[in-house]
Amino acid sequence: MSLLLVIILGLCATGIVLAIVLEQERIPAALGWLGAIASIVLLWFSGASLFGGAVFRATLWTIPSLATLTLSLDRLSALFLFVTGLVLLPGSIFASGNLSQYLGKYSLRSFSVWYFALFATLVLIPLSADAVSLLMLWELMSILIYLLVNFEHEDREHTRSGYLMLAIGEAGTLLIALALIILAGNGSLEFASMKAAGDALGEQARWAVFLLAFFGFGVKAGLIPVNFWLPQAYTSAPWPFVPVLAGATLNLGLYGIVRVNGDLLPVAIAGPGLVALTIGSVTALLGILYATTQSDLKTLLAHSSIENAGIITAALGAGFIFIASNHPAIAAIAFAAAFYHMLNHSIYKALLFVATGAVDSNAGTRNIDRLGGLIKVMPVTGAFFLVGALSIAALPPFNGFVSEWLTLQAMLQSAELASTGIKIVFAICGAILALTAGLAVTCFVKAFAMSFLGMARYESAAKASRARASSTAPMGFLAVLCVFLGVAPTYVIPLLDGAVAPIAHQARAADALVPPFFSGSIHHGELPSAFVADFHKLGAQVGQSVMPGRGLVVLHRGAAANPVVFAMSTSYMAVVLLLMLLGAYVVFRLIVARDRGVERRTVWDGGIRRLLPEMTYTGTGFSNPVRVIFEAIFQPTTVEDTRETVGKHFRAAIRRTRGENHVLDRLVLDPISDAALWMANGFARMHHGFLNAYVFYGLGALLAALLVARFT
Amino acid sequence: MSQWVIKGLRSGIKSTRYPRTSETAPGISPGLPVATPMSAELAQAMAARCPTAALEPARTGIDVNLRRCVHCFRCARGGDGAIGWERERDFECAGVTSHGDNFGRVFTRSIHILVVDTGDCGACLNEVKQLNNPYYNMHRLGFFFTPTPRHADVLLVVGALTEHMRLPLRKAYDAMPTPKRVVAVGACALSGGIFGPSFMCAGGVGDFLAVDVEVPGNPPAPLAILHGLLVVAGRKPPAPLYRRIEEVDGQG
Repeated sequence: MSLLLVIILGLCATGIVLAIVLEQERIPAALGWLGAIASIVLLWFSGASLFGGAVFRATLWTIPSLATLTLSLDRLSALFLFVTGLVLLPGSIFASGNLSQYLGKYSLRSFSVWYFALFATLVLIPLSADAVSLLMLWELMSILIYLLVNFEHEDREHTRSGYLMLAIGEAGTLLIALALIILAGNGSLEFASMKAAGDALGEQARWAVFLLAFFGFGVKAGLIPVNFWLPQAYTSAPWPFVPVLAGATLNLGLYGIVRVNGDLLPVAIAGPGLVALTIGSVTALLGILYATTQSDLKTLLAHSSIENAGIITAALGAGFIFIASNHPAIAAIAFAAAFYHMLNHSIYKALLFVATGAVDSNAGTRNIDRLGGLIKVMPVTGAFFLVGALSIAALPPFNGFVSEWLTLQAMLQSAELASTGIKIVFAICGAILALTAGLAVTCFVKAFAMSFLGMARYESAAKASRARASSTAPMGFLAVLCVFLGVAPTYVIPLLDGAVAPIAHQARAADALVPPFFSGSIHHGELPSAFVADFHKLGAQVGQSVMPGRGLVVLHRGAAANPVVFAMSTSYMAVVLLLMLLGAYVVFRLIVARDRGVERRTVWDGGIRRLLPEMTYTGTGFSNPVRVIFEAIFQPTTVEDTRETVGKHFRAAIRRTRGENHVLDRLVLDPISDAALWMANGFARMHHGFLNAYVFYGLGALLAALLVARFT
Repeated sequence: MSQWVIKGLRSGIKSTRYPRTSETAPGISPGLPVATPMSAELAQAMAARCPTAALEPARTGIDVNLRRCVHCFRCARGGDGAIGWERERDFECAGVTSHGDNFGRVFTRSIHILVVDTGDCGACLNEVKQLNNPYYNMHRLGFFFTPTPRHADVLLVVGALTEHMRLPLRKAYDAMPTPKRVVAVGACALSGGIFGPSFMCAGGVGDFLAVDVEVPGNPPAPLAILHGLLVVAGRKPPAPLYRRIEEVDGQG
């Protein structure tokens, strides 16, 4: 095991060395090959633990009086590493193809160096098993991400968003450090001893650890109210880096939350879970609201990442609540849903970003209102973008559906809880998540239809060239994963079991969701035999002959108080959908269209002389209903600039500029900055330049210090 | 609200029972000239009085082309009673053109109609509009207006075909799925009416599209239009569009 890790780190080091040694033209190829090979080794390394249960532990060196730096791989780390590898593999190939567009403008050398350094950091963060190495690596990751986001540093906008990201990231690291210090108490900074010492903490310290870690790691995960950097940074990041940024680094924020609040100091009361659930739901809603109204595809996808992070966090919060209320089996469902959704989000978001990157490179713009009709010139990219859009919009049989279904099912299981108040919160959050899912469909109908269907609104979109293999190959890989994760959830959920079990305190948690139904006998300990027999009567065991394993149905049976069975099978659904499509086609071909030819006529344009692209529906127009309905949240500002003719009787032109102040800026950032400025104004009065006054301040400070020293 | 229900129940069904029973109040029509036997000179003089060339001199009298008549009374008033005038005329006068056809057995019920105004003065359009009111209530017969040609089976054209409406009419016709039929309503749509072929008007729609059913009148009463729709649906026999002196005399 340690050999594999050494190979990964060695490949990263080779990448760094090659980036420095090689000439600029050959760097992209080196980056692609080394990155892909290192990702495959990473998949092997983490897969060995995730699938096979291999354990890895390495003690590096001891920092006196602090900690022994330790690396360890458990199934939770392995899951996150595996997802990272799944994103880094196509991400590296895409980066190698896309990087050459910066040749001559920016230094590919520095990109490559930072990329491989970040690669190594991303591998090591989930492995680090003590607070010191975690914090050091976390800090290193923040800086490397800043350097990569700020790669196109000649654009002021990129530098600005890079600085903002760095500043918020540092604040987050500070919170994380505080949380870890409280957690360590007087003991060692190694996770193993922190875990043991955690039981001694009082309730207030537990709350402090939870809130500090939740919001500290939440900065990277993109949770409100600390995510205002995210859309700007994602938009500014160079294309070769964006898929990795969205698919891999966002997960590490979630990893931190799970590691600290699920593993090191398990949440014992419902309160923190409620915080996570509420914050997650509101994050999801705000994320998708702002995504829907965006016309820049890259920013749209960034806001949608916030939405998905929110859904994952809500599921985690639900899990925390179920643990605190002593329902480990349901908590396992919630955690499985969260992890599954995290996996899915990484896959389809990387897919969508790669596709959008190809669109931006080949059509010259990523503004939805300037694209259109791309499916004719970029059919492969269009098909893969459609797969990604269907997945993220949670439509069966794609992967987003499975995890969102599981999340909402876990929410519905709140009927088992005793407290009415918590049930009400669950109901509201479930409603918010359902609204989010609906808006996500709107958002991605807009993203796909307005940029790929219809007429090309600008010449650049009409003349776009096909995407290169370095873009379509990663897209294909990710699209196949999207379909696989959607069609075969019963094979994926047992793999999450190992990661879920220690957090949910429930061994064999997957058996509740994917019972060994078809493989075993009729008599299971988990399920009442009458119930199993009923399913056998219905013919549920048919799946066994077709596909070995746990069958193709995801189901869960409520407890005795609420004996409802929730069951779903995207596998069967996919088969039925395919059969229906084929059947409709056959019926059409054989019966309807046999003697009548299909006539193609021009588009009905209302009888106007010539239909111009400018007249067609734009993305802004498509999402305007959402903008109007949620005007209370958006609160747009409209500046009207009217130019009048000389006589002042006729308006020559009216120009309306619509601005939007993000709701977080309005409610969180602006008050904070206003308060800071107000305080600074107050203190400025003390700085009037009279020497006597300064001596007086000095004396006052000395007196205060003496008094404090005397009375403590 | 509740009063509406009671009022509605009290007033009962007011809709016409038209094609099932004959209609006694077909609407107000100024009437039509009757094909009358007369001398050839008089027939020439009468034909010259007609602004729309609806009167055609024949061997033994004068023929009336219903498609062109705008009931202007010039023949009746100025001709010293030389031409007969039929006041109480039958409204069932829609006819199928020589190359036209009804839907046959393809559609009889649930026919969707796209109305295109190619330069109407408003009169015919107003009568078309009445088909949806409670009295004529064409939904009971399975006729529906649709705003898009994609759903339309019948293209109902009103008004003289102006230059600017040629292209939209062609596009609307092309956008309709087959099988489709064209119904022209009113003298202007049939022949150009008093606008005739002129500098901005191509004349009737028939010169431009293959019209299947023609509904004469200026404007035709709503029931006449309804009769036209029933003709295109194949649920009513068509009427002759010419009134010839031979037929009137029964000489053959």
